[in-house]
Amino acid sequence: MNHLMLNRWLDVPSTDPDDARRRKLLNILLVGIAGSILLTLAAIIVANTLLPALELPGLYPGIAASLVGLAIIYLINRYWSGWVAGTLFSLLLIVVVAFSDEPRQVVEGRSVFLFTIPILMASAVLRPWTSFVAAGISALIVTPIALSVDIIPPLPTMLGFFAFAFVAWLSARSLESALQDLRALNRELDQRVEERTRELRRANRQLARANERLLELDRLKSRFVSMVSHELRTPLGAIQGFTEMLRAGIYGSLANKQEDALRRIERNTKKLLNIVNDLLDQARIEAGELSLHPAPFPPEVLVEDLRSTVGVLAEKKGLDLTAEVDDDVPRPLYGDQERLHQVLVNLTNNAIKFTDEGGIHVHIGRADGDHSSHWAMEVSDTGPGIAEEDREHVFTAFRRVDDSMTREHTGVGLGLSIVKQLVELMDGDITLESELGRGSTFTVVLPLQQQNDKGENDE
Amino acid sequence: MNEQFAMIIEDNEDLAIIFAEALQAAGFETDIIQDGETAVAQLETSIPRIIILDLHLPHVSGEEILKGIRSDQRFDDTRVIIATADPRMADMLKDEADLVLLKPISFGQLRDLAARLAPKTGANP
Repeated sequence: MNHLMLNRWLDVPSTDPDDARRRKLLNILLVGIAGSILLTLAAIIVANTLLPALELPGLYPGIAASLVGLAIIYLINRYWSGWVAGTLFSLLLIVVVAFSDEPRQVVEGRSVFLFTIPILMASAVLRPWTSFVAAGISALIVTPIALSVDIIPPLPTMLGFFAFAFVAWLSARSLESALQDLRALNRELDQRVEERTRELRRANRQLARANERLLELDRLKSRFVSMVSHELRTPLGAIQGFTEMLRAGIYGSLANKQEDALRRIERNTKKLLNIVNDLLDQARIEAGELSLHPAPFPPEVLVEDLRSTVGVLAEKKGLDLTAEVDDDVPRPLYGDQERLHQVLVNLTNNAIKFTDEGGIHVHIGRADGDHSSHWAMEVSDTGPGIAEEDREHVFTAFRRVDDSMTREHTGVGLGLSIVKQLVELMDGDITLESELGRGSTFTVVLPLQQQNDKGENDE
Repeated sequence: MNEQFAMIIEDNEDLAIIFAEALQAAGFETDIIQDGETAVAQLETSIPRIIILDLHLPHVSGEEILKGIRSDQRFDDTRVIIATADPRMADMLKDEADLVLLKPISFGQLRDLAARLAPKTGANP
């Protein structure tokens, strides 16, 4: 706060930064000098009071005159012209130096070096080259003083003034050009920052537009998928229904070959229907339209339903499908049984699909570590395993770990993606552990919820 | 109330035939109606044991028909089975209907369901 106050008194508003700098410097000098004069005055007053015999009052007019002079220069500097104030200040300094000591001392004694002060100051508060002017004036003033005490004007001293002026000029010049470079650099930086800001803003706008388009596309895709799925499901349903009726002998008995053909139609229809169902589920999950219907159920039901859904499939491939439910699993469990079944079936189907020998083991138990609040479903297989770099893609929709497997293993690559999304919808978590050549284990961890926790979601 | 009678309100002829065959296999007499208006008119005079109701119907929607049935005491003993391909509608109407089946509906599934409602095997489930 004080610092700011002081700056307000010292700063000079000027459009030219060099001018502002010089005038501020002059102000600092003026205030500094005035301050030391006041301190001196205080010291004199104190000394005079303590030792009245000293009788120093002769100094007071000089002090008063100096203060007034400094004040006038300050006012000129602040409100009118740096040039005039700087010139007055430099001249005043020269005059003060010239008469600060005995004439002999000023010309060739202890006070000669004092002339370096106005020469240096002139280069700082006016322009670099004014150091030479100050040196010239100093030399001019030394001459009559020397003559007044019968000394030959000291030419080496005068040359010394100019030599010093040269040094002052050089340093002031370097300082000014350095400052100018700095300002140029600053301007360039400012310009670059502005350019970058403009570019950034443009990029941001483009991004926002692209994002909007993407969102729109996403909405369109979801709507498209769900519409197409509906349109596909109806005729598929009809094919399925008529095939079933033919096989059930509603329209008369069939020859073996006809029966076989119908079985194939039925199997392919089922496959197609599964794909359409997966697409529809994916679209519904993406659109946030899929809602869960949690209810209590005994955990054993999950295992029984799983066996009846995929048991035949495992048997066909000669794989052992084993399943167990730990005794310490709370009964009943609480959740959307239909969707949990879907999760388990998808995981097991996936395991069966990629395992050629050995078996699949399904285990339902409490989640370890977090024994109080979660339960877990584990599906382990003795398949080829999943390489580390592929694990993150396993749950991505439409991504398949190995595209070369696509022909061998049918499906659109939605099963695990749907599993992950369903599990997340249930506030659960799915993890994958795998070792190449040994097999994989998918673990779904789900919260154990009490029936009254989610009552509002119940049907 | 005609204990033997099942009404199929479904505008897709193929599906309607499958539903009808399934219900006939379960021992019901069936009638297929393909638009909402006709269905409403038919329901003025007959009280079926089972109604299979599609939701997307011409003229009068399945939902409106369902509302009409639910507000009419004559149909207290009628079992309404909604057949829809729209999972959202299936979710929404779960409480209104006796049963909501998501299309595609298998012939065997419907036949077995209907058999449980058939007069011989227990008219009051």
